[in-house]
Amino acid sequence: MAEDAGASGSNNDGGGGGGIKEQDRLLPIANVGRIMKQILHPNAKISKEAKETMQECVSEFISFVTSEASDKCKKERRKTVNGDDICWALATLGFDEYAAPLKRYLGKYRQLEGDKAAANQDHNSNIEDNIWRGIN
Amino acid sequence: MRQAGSYSGILISGKTGPHLLPLARIKKIMKKSGDGVKMISGESPIVFSKACEMFIKELTQRSWMVTMQGKRRTLNKEDVASAVMATDLFDFLLNLVSEMDTSKSS
Repeated sequence: MAEDAGASGSNNDGGGGGGIKEQDRLLPIANVGRIMKQILHPNAKISKEAKETMQECVSEFISFVTSEASDKCKKERRKTVNGDDICWALATLGFDEYAAPLKRYLGKYRQLEGDKAAANQDHNSNIEDNIWRGIN
Repeated sequence: MRQAGSYSGILISGKTGPHLLPLARIKKIMKKSGDGVKMISGESPIVFSKACEMFIKELTQRSWMVTMQGKRRTLNKEDVASAVMATDLFDFLLNLVSEMDTSKSS
């Protein structure tokens, strides 16, 4: 089942040192590491291997949720996976704590796009800030 | 022409402060999820960017609890594996962490 989760066996010697394709299927280690640090104490240290493991886990997470969302689209005969499908998939797979704030965020993001399409003029540049503050 | 502010950023490049993860890369990973995934709306990577952030934070927190139980200050990959095994929500990661464990001989 995990056939394209990257765990094809041949690339698993300590991780991180793979070729271009390997890097392509992972999120950058610097970004991942930064997020990890955000919620730990300043004194906390994170091993490189732990960050690499997290990279793999995140990619797996994306695949896992996307597959679920994609299946839903197929059943409903839609070709495009959208934000709602992802929120739905998250809730279905047990990540309901993520789904709720993400739905709110998605709603505001769409509102923003709608405003842009309608107005395309001077616009309050605080809208984006408000989206984040509203969510947090 | 009006100045480009953070407002235009979110819609044009997606490269605004709050996005900690590269949207194009997220999109690539989504496309590799399976045969059926062909078209992805523009908002999807943006939603995922935030979802991944939440995921990383949760897994990190749980891993850190294991680190603390071991009275260590460095979060290592075994801690991540332990957190995965201890959390039902992360069952989809069990294969991944057990495979990584096997390939490294302790």
